[in-house]
Formats: sequence, structure tokens, C-alpha cells
Amino acid sequence: MRNRLCKVQQKFNYKGIVVEPKIRDFFIGRIWTRNHTPFSQEKIEKYIEHQFFNIKPGISFFRKGFLQRQIYRCNRCHNTNQHEIVHYNCARCEKVCVYCRHCINMGRVTSCTDLLTWNGPSSHYPLSHKLVWEGKYTEAQHEAAQQLQESIKTGRHHLIFAVCGAGKTEILFPAVEFALNQGKRVCIATPRTDVVLELYPRFQKVFPKTNLHALYGSVPVQQGFPQLVITTTHQLYRFENAFDVVIVDEADAFPYTYDRTLQKAVVKAKKEDAPITLVTATPSPQILSRVKREKWGVSFIPRRYHGYPLPVPRYESLWSYDKKIQKGDIPTKLEEWTKARLTNKEPFLIFFPTIRLMHMATSLFQQLDKRIVSVHAEDEERKEKVLKLRKEEVPGLLTTTILERGITIKNIQVAVVGAESKIFTSSALIQISGRVGRNSQFPTGDIVFFHHGITAEMDEARNEIIRLNREGFGEGFK
Amino acid sequence: MKGTEVMNCLLCNTPLNEPVTWKLLLTNHFPKTICTDCENKFKPYENKEKAVTSLYQYNEAMKDYLHRYKFLHDIILAKVFREQIHHHLSKQNAIIVPIPMHPLKLKERTFSPVDELLNEANVPFTHYLEKITTETQGGKSRQQRLNAPQIFRLKNGMDVVGKDFILVDDIYTTGTTIKHGKKVLLDEGAKSVTAFTLIRG
Repeated sequence: MRNRLCKVQQKFNYKGIVVEPKIRDFFIGRIWTRNHTPFSQEKIEKYIEHQFFNIKPGISFFRKGFLQRQIYRCNRCHNTNQHEIVHYNCARCEKVCVYCRHCINMGRVTSCTDLLTWNGPSSHYPLSHKLVWEGKYTEAQHEAAQQLQESIKTGRHHLIFAVCGAGKTEILFPAVEFALNQGKRVCIATPRTDVVLELYPRFQKVFPKTNLHALYGSVPVQQGFPQLVITTTHQLYRFENAFDVVIVDEADAFPYTYDRTLQKAVVKAKKEDAPITLVTATPSPQILSRVKREKWGVSFIPRRYHGYPLPVPRYESLWSYDKKIQKGDIPTKLEEWTKARLTNKEPFLIFFPTIRLMHMATSLFQQLDKRIVSVHAEDEERKEKVLKLRKEEVPGLLTTTILERGITIKNIQVAVVGAESKIFTSSALIQISGRVGRNSQFPTGDIVFFHHGITAEMDEARNEIIRLNREGFGEGFK
Repeated sequence: MKGTEVMNCLLCNTPLNEPVTWKLLLTNHFPKTICTDCENKFKPYENKEKAVTSLYQYNEAMKDYLHRYKFLHDIILAKVFREQIHHHLSKQNAIIVPIPMHPLKLKERTFSPVDELLNEANVPFTHYLEKITTETQGGKSRQQRLNAPQIFRLKNGMDVVGKDFILVDDIYTTGTTIKHGKKVLLDEGAKSVTAFTLIRG
């Protein structure tokens, strides 16, 4: 009898204490510092004693190259940039320790910090997920959704290349439902917090039976085991070997393309053979060549869901606009454009290359209409201001590239001031142009690049939009 | 960052690209660690009294700096103000005494913010004081701070009679910490005690 009991216990991985579901659900798939968990330290130590956790040092090193140089690596964010690794005299260990500056905002990780990963029983995965969505697909969307589902079924990486306003999020629904019902853990990651905030309620609505969590910088701890996680790519530093399916939305957005560790974080957060899906309107050449080389599944949608072509940007010269604005004048063409928008009562966005220039221009624009305000990345009222534009409480916004993606406003008109600036890359310009004409009632709109000389990036953006329209509407499209 | 070389601004991570000038090559300066934009966000404090000297005002930028340095434990940020601290303290004849931390607190934090500031600024200092409580000043009201019993004592075997001292702390808010430290030293027979803080709250 006793023996049989032991066997049963072994089978269920019994290790001396009964695991609290709260702790189990939190730690599955996560990698967390030992001393900063949301649970009491005594409990955590007890769990460690009973081997419910694997422990590894926060920073380890390996040797590399001819000289066998020591290279440190942060085990949380996998950063190996040695400029971001700092040596210091640690008063706790009384020797020289190192810490990683790259992910220090999430709490410092040093070589004497322990990182915990879960080694206990796994959670129960419910299989009764239901997609509640009554929208209708266009033919292209339907095809893409099928292709994506097929890729996830076979465990193949996939790229969804769809123009701005093609209805990319909806394409994900059936594939996510399929994966969840297979008992898989799904992660939708995106570089932008704004996008997380927009996706979360949408997914919550269409998957009412699923426990899903949204993770971003300062989010409170949420209850239960999330089988579906919507997160910023930064938060993936805190996951390891966790997901069976990873979808990266807006995979071309800053800083994901720029920061190698974020790309590593995605690979680290997924299980080894889990497929990645990239969703983007402007895939970089690197992504495209990888897709080709590694034979990914590809869905290409050159047409918007409402079936109208993408608005093609027009060029308008605005010589020495910065000097004019510095002198306290709005350049004539820009002033006329804004006045036309005001008289037609059309909401508008004006993009500026720098915050400094935007601030100088704000007071000038407020002379045209007092309600015009400006938005930038560190603005605390960013969300409210965009909402005001949506509700037509403000006629227009001045903004930096922060609003280049993820915002959809009916009948919006867009101008880019200083489109020749370095910050407006071709993908940024394509994204900005993609804000216009997203609504089926107002499928067209004005998109102007005000410039001090035309750059290759501008041409590239314009040609790409024309090319996509040709793909979607045949060669006859001018 | 093994060497002294700092490539990017420690606060905003933009490349520094400090131009090489004759002045830089020939005079003895610490290399730059933050960019000019970040530098301009810190506002110098205008000292009115002689007893306590402070370098900077407590503003948003400083709040952010202190948060990163003291609470996120980003020790390398001790380098940011080394030039100014060095300039102010290296020529002094008095003995530099940093406000100490309780040994338990020190283990917890892994470093002493005040000591590190002085180390980076290349200013020699001696610990004359010992902290006897583990309480921190933060989180207490002004009244509580002012009425608190003595929080320091003289270290064993330290002789202070007839000597000049400068107490050093990171931030001066109500002045209680400095007052307590001053009292201990003066009671033991120190000749004079002044104070220096990086920030004035």
C-alpha cells in the first residue's frame, strides 16, 4: 500500500508541499529574480528548498575568440553588449560583481542575483475556448487566416505582409482560437504599449472564455493562469521557454528592429520548436530574405478591407520651413493646408521631425485655432489627447513619429512636415500614409509630404505604395 | 564597462562624441559621462548659508537621477557628478566624513551611494561615524525627523579633538541627518564642522 502511494506521488511530482495555484500560475514560463517576487519571501524560500524552482545566476560569462576574452551575458535579457555590463565592488559579496544596465529598469540583475524558473507541476489548460466574432472576412483575409492556421498546425514560421488597414488583427483570430484549443500557450507581442492597449480589449471581447493578460511597463499583477498573453516585447525579458505560439505584431516598429536583444527575447520566450508569426505592413529587407531562406509561410494582402486603394502621398516643397517657424511664421503652404482642414471640419495630424520644432510650431498653430494641441512620447496626456481628436473635441494634433501607427480615426487628413528628415524612414512614411482613408465611409484622404528636398526614403515609400496598389488592383492602376 | 571609457550618455544613451580639444588633452579633466542636453536639465543651487553647501536643486531630472542611482542601484551613475564634486572637495583642508549607512542596509543595497560619489570623484575620505539605527529618513514626516533620537555615534578609537570636518551626504531635505552628525562630532570636541551635499531638496 505504502509503495503504491509513493508511486502515485512520484507520478504527480509531489515534493513535500502542496503547491498554491497562485504561485504556480504566476511562475510557469517566467524567469524572475529571487528577492523581488510578488509573494512573501518565506514562501518562496520554502518552494526553493523543495526544489520547485531552478536557479541560475543573473549574469554568467563565456569565453570567445582567439584571446579567449571573457564575455558576460545577462541571463534575463540576454544582453552581451559589454558596454552595458558594469563592474562594481559589491558590499554583499565583498568582491567585484557585475550588473546589467540593459534591463535595469525591471530591477537590477547582478552576478550575485539568483534567477528563478519554475520546476513544479504545470497548470491546467482549458480547451473550451470560443471565438465570438461576427465580423466578415474579405476573400484575401479569409485566405490569409487559413494559411496562418495551416502554418501554426505544422509548426512553421509565418509572415503576414498586409497593407495598413487590411484588417490584420482579425486574421489572427481563427489561428489563435485553434492554437488555444490545442492546449497551446499563445503570446501576442508588440514593441508598442499603445498597441497592447488597443489589442487587449479587442481580444477580450472575442475570447470571452479565455483568461488573457496584458503586460506592459507598470501593469498590476493579474490573477489566474493566462493561456493567452498580450505583451510588449520588453516584458518578454521576463519569460523563458514559455510559449507554444508567438505572434509579433507591428514587427517593423521601433525599437524591435533596432534592438537585437528584443529579437533575442522573442526567441528566448518561446519554446524551442514553437513557430513565430510576424505581422507587418512594412517588412524590412532582412525579414524578407530570412523568410525566403528559411521557407516561411507567407500571406500577402495588398488590398484594404474596404477594397479601396491606398492613398498615394503627394510632395509639396516647403523650403527652409524650420527657419520660418523659428522666426514665428507658419510657412504659407502649410498654413493654407491647415486652414482648408479647419474650414472643411476634417480632423488632421501634422507630423514633425523633432519635439523642439513641434513645440515652437504649437503656439503658432494655436493662433489659427486655439484647440490645436501637440503630442509626444513623454506626454502623460497622450491617450486623452488622441481620444479628444477621435471625439472631434480638438480639430487636429501636432505630433512626432509616436503616432505613426496604431491609430485609426475617421476621415483623418495627414501632413508630414520635413519629410526629408532622417527620422522619417520609408517604413515610417508608409505607416504614416497608412493612417489615411481607413474607414469604409471615407476611403480616401489627403496625405502630403512637405519637404526641403526629396530624399530616397520618400521616393521609396511612395513607390512602395504605388506598387502595392498595382498588386491589388492590376497593372492599370496609375 | 571595464575601463573608464563611457561611450554613450549614461542617462539618455545618445552617443557622446566628445570632440578632442587642446584643453581636454592638456588639462586634467574627467572624461564626460553625460550629454549636454542632460547636463542642462540639472539646475545649480545658489548657496545662501555658509554652514551647508549644496551643488544642485532637487528637480524632475534630479529626482529621476536619484531614483536610478539609489533605488535601481545603477552604481555607474556615481560618475555623473564627479567633476563638480572633485572641484569642490579636493582642495579642502578639512577631513571629509561621509554620512554612513547601517551595515545591514549596506548589505541590502550592495553599495553606499555617498561613498561611491566620493570614490568616483577621487576625493579621499574617512569614516568617523557609525549609524546605530536601520531606519531611513525617507517615509518620515518632518516632525518625526526632527524629534528622532540620535542616529549616529563616533566610531571606536577615532580622535576628533581640534580637527576640522566636512560632512558629506547626497541630499539635504530637512537637515536632520546633518544636524545629528554635526552634534556627535562637536560634542566629542571637533573644532569645526561644515556640510556638503550634492542636492538641496
